[in-house]
Amino acid sequence: MSVSELKERHAVATETVNNLRDRLRQRRLQLLDTDVSKYSAAQGRSPVKFGATDLVCCRTLLGHTGKVYSLDWTPERNRIVSASQDGRLIVWNALTSQKTHAIKLPCAWVMTCAFSPNGQTVACGGLDSVCSIFSLSSTADKDGTVPVSRTLSGHRGYVSCCQYVPNEDAHLITSSGDQTCVLWDVTTGLKTSVFGGEFQSGHTGDVLSVSFSGSNRNWFISGSCDTTACLWDTRAASRAVRTFHGHEGDVNTVKFFPDGYRFGTGSDDGTCRLYDLRTGHQLQVYHQANGDGENLPVTSIAFSASGRLLFAGYANNSTCYVWDTLLGEVVLDLGELQDSHKNRISCLGMSADGSALCTGSWDSNLKIWAFGGHRRVI
Amino acid sequence: MASTSCSVKVAGETGLALAKSSLPPPRPKSPPPYPDLYGKRREAARVQMLEREIGFLEAKIKFVEGLQPSSRCCKEVSDFVVANSDPMIPAQRKSRRHCRFWKWLCFPCLSVASFCCCCRSECSCHLRKPKCCNSTCCSCVGSKCFNGSCCSNSCCCPKPSCPKCLSCPSCSCFRGCCCSCPDLCCCIPTCFRSCSRPSCLNKKSSCCSCNCNCKIKWSSCFKCPKLRLCCCFCNCKNTCSNPCCLAF
Repeated sequence: MSVSELKERHAVATETVNNLRDRLRQRRLQLLDTDVSKYSAAQGRSPVKFGATDLVCCRTLLGHTGKVYSLDWTPERNRIVSASQDGRLIVWNALTSQKTHAIKLPCAWVMTCAFSPNGQTVACGGLDSVCSIFSLSSTADKDGTVPVSRTLSGHRGYVSCCQYVPNEDAHLITSSGDQTCVLWDVTTGLKTSVFGGEFQSGHTGDVLSVSFSGSNRNWFISGSCDTTACLWDTRAASRAVRTFHGHEGDVNTVKFFPDGYRFGTGSDDGTCRLYDLRTGHQLQVYHQANGDGENLPVTSIAFSASGRLLFAGYANNSTCYVWDTLLGEVVLDLGELQDSHKNRISCLGMSADGSALCTGSWDSNLKIWAFGGHRRVI
Repeated sequence: MASTSCSVKVAGETGLALAKSSLPPPRPKSPPPYPDLYGKRREAARVQMLEREIGFLEAKIKFVEGLQPSSRCCKEVSDFVVANSDPMIPAQRKSRRHCRFWKWLCFPCLSVASFCCCCRSECSCHLRKPKCCNSTCCSCVGSKCFNGSCCSNSCCCPKPSCPKCLSCPSCSCFRGCCCSCPDLCCCIPTCFRSCSRPSCLNKKSSCCSCNCNCKIKWSSCFKCPKLRLCCCFCNCKNTCSNPCCLAF
């Protein structure tokens, strides 16, 4: 076939692709007969109402000397690990506010941290493009440095997020600025699978966040600077199972909904969205324009235990909206409460039992929020 | 003699002229074009990828044809939320469940000030609700006072002085956070050292995202998150040198 014939085929194929994409978009729009807020309003759902002192800051974890970038809870025992620009990981007892470990990192520019399911190791990653694993039972040397027990190297860009596979201490997923996610075997330090990286098989921009499904540990979601979120099956890395469109800016954060069949996203376009995993439908958009009409990027999100509340941190001083996910309304701003953070909230995490929310901020502190009001018992 | 040679000569010339007239004039041709094998293969690869994409899109359309409408998914979400308890929500419950959240309030703590409020009947804390601030909120657009409780600490919000928008004099500052820039105006400082002037790539957003290219071949572009600044240090072997100081 000659080059001119190939070019003609190229033009025809491009037109076919555009037509098919348009058909797909139209068909999806036809299936969006309602969203969660309209449905719930029609069902007569009562709004969530918080009193002034219902959600309170119960603990302030002091110790970091730089911006806090990431935090993670243990599945049990109420411990938190946090990562900061000061180049340290700190492990906290969330109930007593005591620090149990302060790990000096070989590379200070850390962006993410995670607890293993058994709570005995922590992982972190950042601008050094590697994911470092530390055992909490290792003894520190005379300088207080805990040795790295394993280094997962292979990414060709910064490591933006890391998460252990649920109930598997030997496997974790990292997301990276090199547009891929990687599943690692921690015991060998080798890559098990690479998700994306080849043209049209995955993301076309930096991957910023990952989240695992609680109902199916073979599924995870990734969010990217290419404005999409992707669903991956760890058993089939060649191509994303589904791509979720809708956002108009970088998808900074993704989190599974508690039922494991929906997930939330937060983006630079100022919105949080709720998607259905199996159908790909965009079920709800959570957006509140500020007074200047500008869209504040969403930095981090977390769902409450029932999924009724969506906590969203924004890229301005201390704003953290609490959304009623059913009615699509902001019911509280943690940034307006007493003892709130003094700077941007960069990370959020809900405890395993849903009783407390931890927020990390650029003011170098972490805070724990819990319900402090009355519960009327009938 | 001369005439003979002359006639022979003439005959020879005449013969040559006859020979010349029977052949077509020479037409020098252009050399044959160099076969662009690379270009052809590249084009073929592009076509192959598009045809693969067509296959994927057709499969997606077939998948979407059999989907349930979003209202069914919304019902599932709503049913799940209603069916599950939530420690973070003020709600009436028919049965009293184990209050997992009391541990946050009732655990002995050195600082009483870390508790704003506490339960009364269900928890034996015996901590009283502290007195809320009596100060009135500053006149501040958007400030909020909750009923009978403290004003927001950030109620008085004097507008901080805006940082200077570097290399972009027509940028304006809002909310003291970042500058908004007209298109083609990078409000972010330029790249380091041997990097060429950044160009604005993303024309949609108000602040352009910039890339820079390293001129020196042996230096590597260290890709920074989010602002996508490419800081080209002459020696990027030490990845802990944090070239992303602006964005980090």
